[in-house]
Amino acid sequence: MGDKPVWEQIGSTFIQHYYQLFYNDRTQLGAIYIDASCVMWEGQQFQGKAAIGEKSSSLLFQKIQHSITAQDHQPTPDSCIISMVAGQLKADEDPIMGFHQMFLLKNINDAWVCTNDMFRLALHNFG
Amino acid sequence: SIYRRRYNNWSEQVSSGICPSPHQQQDGDPATNGTHMSTRVRYTPYAIPPCHWRGNFQKQDQVQANMEGEQKPPERKMKGERQDETSGSWFKIIIPFGIKYEETWLLNLIQGQCSVPFTPVEFHYEKMQAQFFVENASIAFALKSVNGKIWDENNETVSVFVYPSDAPHSVQKELMSEKVEQTKVMQTQDYLLIASSGLLGDLITHDIAMVLNPRNSMAASLQTHGKNISKVKSAGELDKSKSLQPEEMSANRSSLCTAFPDKSTNIRSVVHYVTPWDSELCLMDSQESPSPTSIGIAAHKKLPTCKVRRVDQAGYYLIYDSGDRQGLLSAYHDEACFSLTTPFNPKDPALAAPGNTHTGQTTTSCSLFSPRSSLCEYFKESRNLKKLKDPSLRVQLLKQTKCDIVRSLCVLPKTQHDLSFFVVDMWFQTGVLLCVAEVEGMSQDSVRAFTRTFIATPVSNYSLCIVNDELFVRDASPKETQSTFSIPVPTHSCSSWPTLCQKQQEVVQTFSTQSGMNLQWLQK
Repeated sequence: MGDKPVWEQIGSTFIQHYYQLFYNDRTQLGAIYIDASCVMWEGQQFQGKAAIGEKSSSLLFQKIQHSITAQDHQPTPDSCIISMVAGQLKADEDPIMGFHQMFLLKNINDAWVCTNDMFRLALHNFG
Repeated sequence: SIYRRRYNNWSEQVSSGICPSPHQQQDGDPATNGTHMSTRVRYTPYAIPPCHWRGNFQKQDQVQANMEGEQKPPERKMKGERQDETSGSWFKIIIPFGIKYEETWLLNLIQGQCSVPFTPVEFHYEKMQAQFFVENASIAFALKSVNGKIWDENNETVSVFVYPSDAPHSVQKELMSEKVEQTKVMQTQDYLLIASSGLLGDLITHDIAMVLNPRNSMAASLQTHGKNISKVKSAGELDKSKSLQPEEMSANRSSLCTAFPDKSTNIRSVVHYVTPWDSELCLMDSQESPSPTSIGIAAHKKLPTCKVRRVDQAGYYLIYDSGDRQGLLSAYHDEACFSLTTPFNPKDPALAAPGNTHTGQTTTSCSLFSPRSSLCEYFKESRNLKKLKDPSLRVQLLKQTKCDIVRSLCVLPKTQHDLSFFVVDMWFQTGVLLCVAEVEGMSQDSVRAFTRTFIATPVSNYSLCIVNDELFVRDASPKETQSTFSIPVPTHSCSSWPTLCQKQQEVVQTFSTQSGMNLQWLQK
């Protein structure tokens, strides 16, 4: 990892952390957001740690697995990181579906938090 | 290099805390509320032949859903009657040497090649040109396609050019739409600006197509970067600097209308106009707004007048599809970042040809994979960090100036986006637009799904600059997606992954509560 720019390291680490959290205990997902964070999930908007945490907990599946097929990270002019993830997910016994997710990460007091999160199921199935 | 500059600035400003700490969360600026929009709608497609599309294509005869949920049939009226006013977008059709042709003959010739019936309004001759107006972007787009396909009795090409326009005079006094007042369109030789009047402040007004001053030379500006531009087609003349003020635009517009096009012999086919969709976003007049960052219904109560606009991305795609992407140069910030990712993996054993070396991404000979070769062009530029390990290649594939970006875009395969099915999430916050848009399109005879994630900021009252842009390209054809790519084993083992099936829609319903038409309307 030594040659990677910092934002790629941070982005990759965040992504890994996020999806592990999602799988293991998504009630704890609220921890990576702040009150100003906004999550858009299939077009629905949730703002703030509480709302996001509540939504994560209320999702209708027991377990969800994400398999990432692509990720990319870019630095933004205001020193944030924009991370893009695409892959497939499987919720309980439902069919596999493609998804795309974007995270905007910001460093606040030496901690990287997610200020924006946009999730969409893929329009079409894909590999 | 610019890369180092952005990297250094970025690194200096942040510390490299790697792991988000769950115990040290602090709230950010409490005033950073944003507003969101998400859209999943279908619009009348741009008259693309049905055989090229999958099931998303809607025939012209089908109802055109607007954002309010009402549906109006797009009646095709006979010549002489007014066209449906749903769209409210007018276009001027110019036939450069149309003075030679009798009106009925000319219109029949055009209609014979036009995939949709059109009703010409105010047909007239102006200098050497024949001109008329049509309403509705999809009709205009269909007419644009006629160019190059018709000849007169002397076997000379009859050119057809299409420009956005105000409504013709005879129609204008009948129009009471605020969209006409709010939208000013400037045409240059090849590129369009969509500007909105009355838009002030930090908030995003519109996306994309930028005005280009025809007097400046893009070739010159590229050469200053010392880059090899042999692959880059001359796109005409661009203004690298900020866009024009509205007064200038109005003045230029009239002069351009008459100057074009009868003198030039290498006129490129034009068009591309963004149809303002019916959905609109709320913007605030900065003179009235106490806080440019708080938008939404609550904020609306504070504002006596709240203009409603909508960010329209179709213009970007139209230029992208136009065959000449140089027009996108002005859409990007000077030091924007762009990268491309595709999950296509030539190491996939289903695709590998014997003797292929699994070294790196761009060194692979894509011609070995003929069923997949159409994705190869994307793959060469793909910066999938999950797979791409070569650090210098990772750097190289992150394009960091607008010239590099546009050059990258220009070598990507030709596309035709289907803007009839467009899924977009947008977020405004402190004058920054964050957007994820998913669009389907054709590329090299295959259907692809494009997801574009971008961050943009306003650079003036009238234009938007993209500072970060990430494009994700994947196949969208159902046949090719059935277990073609190996699914990596997740952290927890899983026995067998069922193949993708048509139950997707049902599952989508489970995930989605409301899809699409849940925009917040804030009326003036």
